[in-house]
Amino acid sequence: MENRESIPCVELRNLVKRFPGVTAVDHVSLKVEKGKVFSLLGPSGCGKTTALRIIAGLETMDEGDVLIDGKVINDVPAYKRDCSIVFQTLALFPHMTVEANVSYGLEQRKVPKDEIRKRIGEMVDLMGLGGMEKRRPSQLSGGQQQRVALARSLILSPKVLLLDEPLASLDRKLRKGMQVELKRIQREVGITFLYVTHDQKEALSLSDTIAVMDKGKLEQVGTPEEIYETPRTKRVADFIGASNIFPGKVTASGNGKVQLETEGGLRVIALEDKDIRSEEVTGISVHPELVEILPEGTGLEGDNRFKGRIVEMIYQGDFIETKICLDQTGGLITSYLSSRLNRETQFSPGEEVLVRWSPESSNILLG
Amino acid sequence: MKSLTGKTLLAIATLTYLFMWVPTIILIVFSFSNDKLGIRWEGFTLKWYAEIFNNAAVRNALEMSLIIAIITIVVSTVAGTVTAYGLYKYKFRGKEVIRMSLLLPIVMPYIVTAGALLIFFTRVVDIPLGYPSILIAHISFSTPLAVFIVLGRMQRIDWSLEEASMDLGAGRLTTWRRITLPLLMPAVIASAVLIFPWSFSDFTITFFVAGVGNTTLPIYVYSALRWGETAAVNAIGAIFVALPLIGLLLINFLQKKRVI
Repeated sequence: MENRESIPCVELRNLVKRFPGVTAVDHVSLKVEKGKVFSLLGPSGCGKTTALRIIAGLETMDEGDVLIDGKVINDVPAYKRDCSIVFQTLALFPHMTVEANVSYGLEQRKVPKDEIRKRIGEMVDLMGLGGMEKRRPSQLSGGQQQRVALARSLILSPKVLLLDEPLASLDRKLRKGMQVELKRIQREVGITFLYVTHDQKEALSLSDTIAVMDKGKLEQVGTPEEIYETPRTKRVADFIGASNIFPGKVTASGNGKVQLETEGGLRVIALEDKDIRSEEVTGISVHPELVEILPEGTGLEGDNRFKGRIVEMIYQGDFIETKICLDQTGGLITSYLSSRLNRETQFSPGEEVLVRWSPESSNILLG
Repeated sequence: MKSLTGKTLLAIATLTYLFMWVPTIILIVFSFSNDKLGIRWEGFTLKWYAEIFNNAAVRNALEMSLIIAIITIVVSTVAGTVTAYGLYKYKFRGKEVIRMSLLLPIVMPYIVTAGALLIFFTRVVDIPLGYPSILIAHISFSTPLAVFIVLGRMQRIDWSLEEASMDLGAGRLTTWRRITLPLLMPAVIASAVLIFPWSFSDFTITFFVAGVGNTTLPIYVYSALRWGETAAVNAIGAIFVALPLIGLLLINFLQKKRVI
């Protein structure tokens, strides 16, 4: 039994898909654990949707294997695969009622009428769609349509539910609500979710595991915390919002710290990681919210303290996106200054300041 | 509508509308007139209608026109829908050539098509003039219409609906029957509605390929006018207007009821 548990729900082995002029999926291998939410995160055009469509059987691959529950399903047609996809456009059948949409898959499987009725009843309850059964999709709100699309797929109890940016068409507030809903539903039904999104916040809040893709390649796989706090490549760091990136090389180490010299000549300090050899290090990244701004007079002693001048302040509500030009290099560094704190400090553009971040905030990049 | 431009536009629109409809309305009004020549109002009568319905030649012509129109509609919409699907969904060599050549029957002068068909039927292949030749001719100029109407609809369909159907476990045929066809239905019906008057009232091509003694309603009207039977022709004209109109209203009604 233990052995069966360890079989991944979905596995991709060296998946390759080429379109004319572009390799959409470039030797991607990954394993999706059973009962978890796995996100494929990346900018649009990174190949994440193509990978999902290959798993669903809607697209053929050029190389590699797709496995569901340990079985290679490369040649199984879409309508016989034990997975179901929720499309970005939702693809609800416009000429059918909610009920007919939801029962469509069960009818194809020749499930008896009574059983269908019973399972629709349960699904309608789970999704909070009571009273909508006889309506057509066009008579529902965006959030309700979303639930119908989920219900239509979940009622088949697939081994894995594939979701292709299902919340992209909703407005911000509704999207937040649906994220919570999705989490709840996933917990209740226990089905594996393979979730494709370009929204890092959505991926961070929904997932058990995130795989970041860029230009068809898998960049990094990890928990939301790992991806957010220790992005390992410049692309991942940039995509996840650790936008202060300093390419550089390790020049010294000791006392559990390493010193890097950046290309611009800054000396930055990071904590030493025993698993990383210093030759592999290509730079560091820092999240803007970890960069502090201090008044000009503050002392320069200590790690990661640099003089600069505020060049731009963009009000974002709860924080102020502040760009500081560093005196030493002329490069820009971004800090998210708390709006509340700035009511006291009153920084303004043009002001000479000091920026600082702690060595623990320096994240080491490897590529 | 208070500005000068507004008033001018309204006047032009009204004139255009009158220009389009007045002759038709006059024709229908005079079809109820007791005047033998059908060009003056001499009191209300239904006798011209009675006359054309009692006239075996008119009945036969009407019957022939209806039979041809119905067969043409069925064959053309089916062939047109399948052709459009193939043109839209599949990639093959010469696709663009086929697509463009399908436009040809629509833009070519009728007289050219008519002459070509007649020569083809009598000299190249031996098709008997009459129902067979008329049907082939009608289907060949009606099918492209269906192809382009259905193609237009296909460009606005969310094709992930077909994928969703297959993802949910339906095979290709079931998907076509339960998803694709219902989605294309408005276009299929629209092409049927457009093909009906096209086929029903076609004169030029039918006249060329009909052969001797095969009289459709338009051909009957033409010969009746040559014999000076204006009043009866008015009544037939009224029917020509009424039939497609009833068809359109019926479609409209059905669409509202079934929310296509």
